[in-house]
Amino acid sequence: MNTISSWRLLPFAVLIIFTAPLVIVLSSLLGNYSDNWSHLYEFVLLDYVNSSLILVIGVAFLVFIIGTVTAWTVTNYNFIGKDIFEWALILPLSIPPYILAYTFTGLFDPYGDANNLIRYLFDLSSDFVFFPNVRSMYGAIIVFAFTLYPYVYLVSRSALINQSKSMKEASRLLGLNQVQVFYKLALPMIRPAVIAGVMLVIMETLSDFGAVDHFAIETFTTGIFRTWYGLYDLQTAMQLASLLLIIVGVFYLIEKNTRGGSIYTSNNSNFSPNLEDNLQGFKALIAFLICFIPIFIGFIIPIVELSFWAYEVNLGFFNDRFISNAMNTLSLSLGTGIICAGLALLINFSVRFKPNKLVEKLSSLLSLGYAVPGLILAVGMVQLMVYLDTFLFSSLDIVLTGSIFGLMIAYVIKTYALANSSIESGYQRISNSMDESSRLLGISGWRMLINVHSPLMKTALLTSVLLVMSDVVKELPATLILRPFNFETLAVSTYTYASEERMLQAAAPAIAIVIIGLIPIIFLSKMIRSSRPN
Amino acid sequence: MKKIQLILLFAFFVNLVTADEVNVYTSRHYDSDDALYEEFTQETGIKVNIISGKGSALLQRLKAEGKNSPADIFFTVDAGNLWKVQKEGLFQSIQSEKVLTEIPENLRGPNNEWTAIAKRARVIFYNPENISDELLENFNYEDLADQKWNKRIVIRSSNNMYNQSLVASLIENIGEEATEIWAKKLVSNFARKPQGNDRSQIIAVANGEADLAIANSYYIGIMLSGSAGQEQLEAAKKVKMIFPNQDNRGAHINISGAGILKNAPNKDNANSFIEFLISNRVQKYMIDKSYEYSVLNDVAPSSEIAGFGTDFKEDQTSVRSFGELNPDAVKLMDRSGWK
Amino acid sequence: MDNLILEIKELNHAYGESDLTIKDLNLNISIGEKVSILGPSGCGKSTLLRLIAGLEKPNSGEIIKKAEVMTNHKIFIPPEKRNVGLVVQEKALFPHLSVYENICFGIHRNKDKNKIVSDLLELLKIDSLKNKYPHEISGGEQQRVALARSLAPNPDLLLLDEPFSALDEELRKTLYKEVSEVCSEKNSSILLVTHDPYEAEVMTDKQLRMENGKLI
Repeated sequence: MNTISSWRLLPFAVLIIFTAPLVIVLSSLLGNYSDNWSHLYEFVLLDYVNSSLILVIGVAFLVFIIGTVTAWTVTNYNFIGKDIFEWALILPLSIPPYILAYTFTGLFDPYGDANNLIRYLFDLSSDFVFFPNVRSMYGAIIVFAFTLYPYVYLVSRSALINQSKSMKEASRLLGLNQVQVFYKLALPMIRPAVIAGVMLVIMETLSDFGAVDHFAIETFTTGIFRTWYGLYDLQTAMQLASLLLIIVGVFYLIEKNTRGGSIYTSNNSNFSPNLEDNLQGFKALIAFLICFIPIFIGFIIPIVELSFWAYEVNLGFFNDRFISNAMNTLSLSLGTGIICAGLALLINFSVRFKPNKLVEKLSSLLSLGYAVPGLILAVGMVQLMVYLDTFLFSSLDIVLTGSIFGLMIAYVIKTYALANSSIESGYQRISNSMDESSRLLGISGWRMLINVHSPLMKTALLTSVLLVMSDVVKELPATLILRPFNFETLAVSTYTYASEERMLQAAAPAIAIVIIGLIPIIFLSKMIRSSRPN
Repeated sequence: MKKIQLILLFAFFVNLVTADEVNVYTSRHYDSDDALYEEFTQETGIKVNIISGKGSALLQRLKAEGKNSPADIFFTVDAGNLWKVQKEGLFQSIQSEKVLTEIPENLRGPNNEWTAIAKRARVIFYNPENISDELLENFNYEDLADQKWNKRIVIRSSNNMYNQSLVASLIENIGEEATEIWAKKLVSNFARKPQGNDRSQIIAVANGEADLAIANSYYIGIMLSGSAGQEQLEAAKKVKMIFPNQDNRGAHINISGAGILKNAPNKDNANSFIEFLISNRVQKYMIDKSYEYSVLNDVAPSSEIAGFGTDFKEDQTSVRSFGELNPDAVKLMDRSGWK
Repeated sequence: MDNLILEIKELNHAYGESDLTIKDLNLNISIGEKVSILGPSGCGKSTLLRLIAGLEKPNSGEIIKKAEVMTNHKIFIPPEKRNVGLVVQEKALFPHLSVYENICFGIHRNKDKNKIVSDLLELLKIDSLKNKYPHEISGGEQQRVALARSLAPNPDLLLLDEPFSALDEELRKTLYKEVSEVCSEKNSSILLVTHDPYEAEVMTDKQLRMENGKLI
C-alpha cells in the first residue's frame, strides 16, 4: 500500500503546479467586478457570444464533414493518389490558422493577388472584384476548418481502420449501400473518437486570437484582449477568460459523459484489413477531389502565397539568427512534447491503476488549458512563477520568472490536451487483462508502467509528442511574455512582422514555422503509412 | 542539500547576468532597431538584452516581478502604456541633462518619468484623381463626420490603439458628448466594416474603393520605399497625405517612448542607452528606417515622407490624457457601433 | 489445518448494486490438491477465481492463503503480492515481448531465470518458439506460453479459468496431462473452473459443483 501512495504523490504534485495558472485565472471570478461589466453587458457581450457561437458551430460542422469523409474515402477506396492522400491529408496541421488568414487576405482582398490575377487574365476593370470578402465570418470558418480538420481526420482514420471487414461485409449483405454503411454503421461506431477530435478543434478555435483579430471578427477572445488592452482592465479580461473556460468546461464534461458509457477496450490487436473498392472514372475523380480540395486550401494555397511573398522580398532571412531561432523553436517544442507525453502517461496510468476521483478531476481540468488564450494563460503563469520564486528563493533574485522552465510549463498546460487525447486512446486499446497478468506475475506500479504500458504505447507516445510539437511551433503569444531575455522563436519573429502587418517580411519565418512544423507531421504521416495491416 | 546547491547555482547565474548590460522590455520591434542596439554595445561595451511583446503584457510581467524585476527600460510604441506604467509607480525620473534640455516638454512625461523617442502623426490620405485638393482645405478630424462623406471613409477597427488614442484626444479637446456624436456620424460614413491594417486603408483609397483613409504617417513611407513590394509602392504613389486641424490645435500625434524603471538594476546603463537613442545621428538613422518623425527639431524626416510636409502643427494634447481617457474612448466607440 | 493452501470463509461478492455473484461461499484446498468447480456460465465461478487472485474485492468474508490473510474486512493484499497464477481462456500475452521474455516477465530478477524458463519450455514442448512473438504462433501454443508464464514464478496455487476451451480436442487432452503433471512435480495446487465434466475428471482429484454463487 505504501509504495502505491508514494508513486501517486508525484503526478499529484505536478498536477497541482500545472493547474495553478488555470486556478489563478479562474480565481478572478472571486474578485471584484468592475463597472466595465455593465458596459460590456449592454453593448458588446452579446455580440461576442453570438459570433463565437456561430464560428464554433460552423467550424465544428465543417471539420466533422471534412475529417470523417476524407478518412472514410482513404480507408475504404482505392483510387489515384490514395497512398499520397492518406498521409498528405494531415499536412494542413503545419499551417497555423493565423498564417492561413494572412495568406487569404493577401489573395482574396479586393486588390489581393488572386483578384489581380483574375482581372489580368480576363482583362477586367480595376473595380471588378471576383472573390467574396474573406474578412468575414465565412472566411474565418473556412480558415479554421481547413487548418484544423486533420485532428478529426487523424482520429477517424485510425478508428475506421480498426473496424472489422466482416462487419462491413455483413451490413452490405443486409442491403445497406456504401453511403448508408458510412453514416449508419461506421460513423456511430467511431463517434467517441470523432467527438474527441471535434472537441480539440472547438477548443483551439475558441482560444485563437491571431486569425479572428486579422479578420476583425468580434469573438470572445478579441473581447478579452480589447478589455485588457483598451479598457486597461485585466481583472475583467480574466473574468471573461474564466467564463470562456467554464463554457468549454461544460462542453468537455458533456463529451466525457457521452464517452463514459462506451469503453472500447479490445485486446484484439490483429485486425483484418479493410475492404477496399477500386474506383474508376468519375467515381475516382470524386474521391480524388474530396481528398485534394482540403489539402489544396489548407496547405498548397498558403505555401504558394508565402513562397511568393518571401521571393518578392528576398531570401536573406536564412542567416545565423534564423538558425538560432529555429533551434530555440525546435528544442522548446521537443522539450514540451516530451514533458507533455510523460505527464499524460503518468496521469492516465495513475487514473487507470488506482482510480482516484481527485486526480481524475484535476487531469480533466488540465485539458482545459487548451482553450485558454495563450496570453491569459501566460498572465497566470507569470503570477505563479513569482509566487514560486518568493517561496523557494526568497532571498535571491527572481529565478523562475522569465525562465525557459516557466515557458515550457505554460506550453505544457496549453498543449496537454493534445498529448492526453492520444495517450488516453492508447490506453483504451490496452486491454485490462494485460494489467491483470502483469500484477499476477508480481509486476505492478512503476514497473508495470515501464515494462508493459510504455512499450505497448510506443505509437501513442510518439504521436502525442509530435502533436504537441506541431502545436508549440505555431503557438506564439505565451512566448512573448514568458520568455527569457533575447530568446526568440520563429513564431515570435513572424508575429513581430505580422503585428505590423509587414506580411512580406513575415513570410520567410512563417515558411520556416511550416517547415519545422512539418518535421513532426512527416513522422506522423510515416506512422500513418505503416499503421495499415499489410 | 539539493536546495542549497540550487541556490548557489542560481546565485552564480545571477552574478553572471549582472555584468555590464541593460535590460529592455520593448513593444517596439523593428529590425533596424536591432542594428542600433548592436551599435550601442560596440560603442559602450554594454550588452542590450531584449524582451519584446505587447505593451500590456509586458506591463503585467513587470508588475508581477515587482522589485525583483531585471528590467531597466520600458520601451513602447503606445503612449497609453507609458501612462499605465507611470500610474503603477514603476518609473523613476530621468535625470539625464541631455533629455531634459533637448526633448520638448510636451514629449516628456510628468516628473520626466519617460521621454518620447520618436513620433508619428495620424493623418488623412486621399487620391487626388477622385477628390480635389480644395475639398480638403483646412480639413479637421471633426469634418470626417460630415454627411458628404457618406460611405466614403475607411479606417481600421476600434481595437487598434492608434484609433483609441485619436478618439481619446478628441474627448480631451471637444468633450465626450461631442465626440460621441462625431463617432456615430463617422461610423455611418464608413465605406466598409473596419478591417485590415492602416496600409489596407491607404490601398483602398488608392484604388478608389473609398475617398478618405485615416492612417499613421509612417505607413506611406514604408510603402513608398518599395520594401513592402511593388504593388504597395504603386498604390502609395497614387495618394496624397494631409495633416488635419492645421488652423487650430494641430494634427494628432502619438509617440514611441521609453522610461527607466524604479528598480532598474543598471540605472546608469539605462541612462546612457536613452541618451544614445536621442542623439542626432541615431535619431536620423532610426527615423530614416521607420519613417517616423524625430523628437529633435533639427533632424529632418526621411526623403519619402518629407514631401508631404515637414513643418506641420502638432496637437499639444499631452500623451498622458490618451492614457487616462483610453478606456472612455473604447467604451465610446462600442456605444457608437465602431466595430 | 496446517496443510491447507487455501481457506475461504463466508465469502460474498456482488458487482456494484447488482445481485450477489458469490453467496456465503466456503472452500478449503490442501497443499498439492487439485480441485475443480463445475458449473454453467454465469454461476460465479470465474468471479471466485478473480476474488482469490485479488483482482476483485469481496463484499464480505475472508480469504486465507497458507495461514496468511489475503482478504478480509480490513486487509487486502494486492494481486502482485499473492503468488498465485491465473490462466484464462483469452490469452493475455504481452504482444511486445517474445515468448522467452513473456515467460521471464515475472522472474526477471531471479538468478536462475534462464534455467527455469528453459525447463518450462521443455516441459510444455515449446522450445522452438522461444524467440517468436505472440502473433506469430498458434492459439494452442499461445495458451502453453501463458501457462508457462504463470508457472514460472512457481506459484503455490494455480487458478485455471477454462484455459483450454478455445482449443481443439486433441490438443486439450495433451495439455490436461501436461499441466497436471507439471503441477504435481512442483507440488502446486490447482483450482480449475470449467463447464466440461471430462476436463474436471481428467485434471483434478476433487470435483465440486457451483450454481448461482453457491457450492452444492
